[in-house]
Amino acid sequence: MTLLSVKDLKVTFNTEAGVVEAVRGVSFSLGRERLGIVGESGSGKTMTGRSVLRLIRPPGHIEASEMLFDGIDLMAASEREMRALRGQRIAMVMQDPKYSLNPVMKIGAQLTEGLRLRDKVDKATALAKAIEALEAVQIRDPERVMESYPHELSGGMGQRVMIAMMLIPNPDLLIADEPTSALDVTVQAEVLSILDALVRNRGMGLIFISHDLRLVARFCDRVLVMYKGRVVEELAAKNLMQAQHPYTQGLLNCLPRIGGSRAPLPGLDRTAAWAE
Amino acid sequence: MMGQMMTWLRDPNPASRMQARLGQYYLGWLRLRRNPLAVVGLTIVLALLAMAALAPVLATHDPFAQDLGRRLLPPLTPGNWLGTDDFGRDIWTRIVFGARITLYIVALVAITAPVLGLLVGTVAGYFGGVVDLILMRITDIFLAFPRLILALALVSVLGPGIENAVLAIALTAWPPYARVARAETLTVRGADYIAAVRLQGAGSGRIILGHVIPMCLPSVIIRVTLDMAGVILIAAGLGFLGLGVQPPLPEWGLMISSGRKFLFEQWWVATIPGLAIFIVSLGFNLLGDGLRDVLDPRSSGK
Amino acid sequence: MSLIEIENLSVTYHVGGHDVRAVEGVSLSVAARESYGLVGESGSGKSTILRAICGLAPVSGGTIRIGGEPVGAHRSKAFAARVQMVFQDPYASIHPRHTLDRTLSEPLAIHRLGDTDARVVRALTDVGLPPAFRFRYPHQLSGGQRQRVAIARALMLEPEILLLDEPTSALDASVQAETLNLLNRLREERGLTFLMVSHDLAVIDHMCDRVLVMQHGHAAEELTREALAGAQMQTDYARTLFNASADRMLEA
Repeated sequence: MTLLSVKDLKVTFNTEAGVVEAVRGVSFSLGRERLGIVGESGSGKTMTGRSVLRLIRPPGHIEASEMLFDGIDLMAASEREMRALRGQRIAMVMQDPKYSLNPVMKIGAQLTEGLRLRDKVDKATALAKAIEALEAVQIRDPERVMESYPHELSGGMGQRVMIAMMLIPNPDLLIADEPTSALDVTVQAEVLSILDALVRNRGMGLIFISHDLRLVARFCDRVLVMYKGRVVEELAAKNLMQAQHPYTQGLLNCLPRIGGSRAPLPGLDRTAAWAE
Repeated sequence: MMGQMMTWLRDPNPASRMQARLGQYYLGWLRLRRNPLAVVGLTIVLALLAMAALAPVLATHDPFAQDLGRRLLPPLTPGNWLGTDDFGRDIWTRIVFGARITLYIVALVAITAPVLGLLVGTVAGYFGGVVDLILMRITDIFLAFPRLILALALVSVLGPGIENAVLAIALTAWPPYARVARAETLTVRGADYIAAVRLQGAGSGRIILGHVIPMCLPSVIIRVTLDMAGVILIAAGLGFLGLGVQPPLPEWGLMISSGRKFLFEQWWVATIPGLAIFIVSLGFNLLGDGLRDVLDPRSSGK
Repeated sequence: MSLIEIENLSVTYHVGGHDVRAVEGVSLSVAARESYGLVGESGSGKSTILRAICGLAPVSGGTIRIGGEPVGAHRSKAFAARVQMVFQDPYASIHPRHTLDRTLSEPLAIHRLGDTDARVVRALTDVGLPPAFRFRYPHQLSGGQRQRVAIARALMLEPEILLLDEPTSALDASVQAETLNLLNRLREERGLTFLMVSHDLAVIDHMCDRVLVMQHGHAAEELTREALAGAQMQTDYARTLFNASADRMLEA
């Protein structure tokens, strides 16, 4: 069953330096599965993710011949309808929890705020739900975390709180934009496996946006490789090593490997034709 | 020709320092142009400059020539289109020549106060510790008094006159710049590019002058333009109280002061210089607002 | 004799009345023309060691010797001519309001070296940037190009030692490859000694002969390149780090 289908998505920015096309005709569809979007900076991967929530600020402009989420036309939806979707049915986890959490509010208050205001849940139920969500992201002492401020948490802890917060309304689709790039490698692995388990158990759709092909390959079913606003290759994650497109191959080969050769790393000679 | 100039300015690979800098100015101008209010402000300020430069041409009379037979004529009188004051002097002429005095005061204050403030602020912010403590407490002392009161006190000690008025205004105007510069320096001080130049063996003087001040300059310039309105008002206030520019010089504040006596019957004598002050202050404020968008390092750069 | 000798180095910051021990009792030595790596997670003190060497972090104990001479509280110009550093974030390490020309000629002006024009142009070409970039501002460059400028700047004074603080972690994978290749080429050509910090074991392995694994300000384990490739680490922490390394994920 298709949860989200996007056809011919374009994002353009009208700046003083001229029109910049950040995304140029991207199409994909997503069921209750894990889709990875990979690309280097400027490939338009983040813009693609944000477009789904229509979170592009002016002078940015979104165009698509189709953008359907569970039967709802996202292009035609009013701002009010979009607000009802955001967070409730489509949630987003950003790169750095530092900028996504309110620095002057305790974690507990931030977690329960939505429940209490939007869903009119009483205080005790909201607290119980928040603690349950923190436990789901494997935070061992949720009561202490509820009482702390964001700056008192480590990066990995903050990102878990973010994930917990996004998962409380039980969304159908989670968009994770570089959710672990700001974290240490050992923490990264932990956070990713938590995310992975949650998405599997709840049967959500996941769009995992990252610059790291290896991470995406490990945590997704399918991978879209983006270059300069276009999808250059779409393939099953398990077939990543058999990638056909020279850009994907280049991305894989240019990474140093432990015990690999000391010869100069193969660079990416960016052929202009890839962008077409 | 114009097109050639444009491509030269927009050249992504400038061939000289000069071209690179002019190119940046041109981009700044393009950004400023997008803000219509800033353009209005700029026009007012440029008009003030033109007025001062062309005063002898624009003036219809001698600013000091008295003609008691034609005193207190209303505006739109033939020969005196803005009317005359209580000594029969042409108000338009005095406004035009007064622009010179206003600009003179503004320019002197704009040169002295921000430079002093920048130096104090960057030195305090860069060195921190005791230096910061001492310099900032001195700044606080100056900030503790209302500006006009402090300027009044200084002028009454130094004696009235245009130079002393400028000095008094400059001495009361620098503390905010020192604060702005210090705040900016504190954010810049720990930056990697400052660490990098320190690693190259640069001394504190070089770092402050060449690397810290360029980062503080935009906020200070914005602040200066926004403050210019205040400076004009204080200068006018001092003139009004008889402590600044002395009669018979056509300073706008002084003109209001002398027109006060006739405010109810001959409103124009005080109102017209008042309008001049209002328009010029507004011009500087609008320009300052626009410059904020152009110069603020947080909005540009990327 | 080693070119860089660090003995029992401790660095303590005073933050809000607390003492934060960023580095405690770390010793290491790097031979001339060697490439030595420091690896660890955030807060392990790896970058602090580099900053302590060049006087950007307060040394509270131990000694640092460069070429046998202990470095004092103040770094001289002579020290600057021997040791230079490349910072992690090329967006933060280059003065945003200076042209590249100014950035690159500043060290020459500080050390009163002449021949500025020729040197700046040569420095740009050496790091693979076109000389036409000379009067650009940093915001007109990409991240990779900026990092090349930072490398060129560090090499202006022709130092022997280059301290590299995560020089590629802010860059895209393909740009990282180009930057690492550039660093290796320059090391070869100029006989440089590298002390390189990274959180990425694969990068360290590609660049360095020996690596010190750090955790919570302490040295956990020193590994040679062979030991790393053969997964012969002794401590649990080094093994955890090894297993979490991203390039292991494809095999997993």
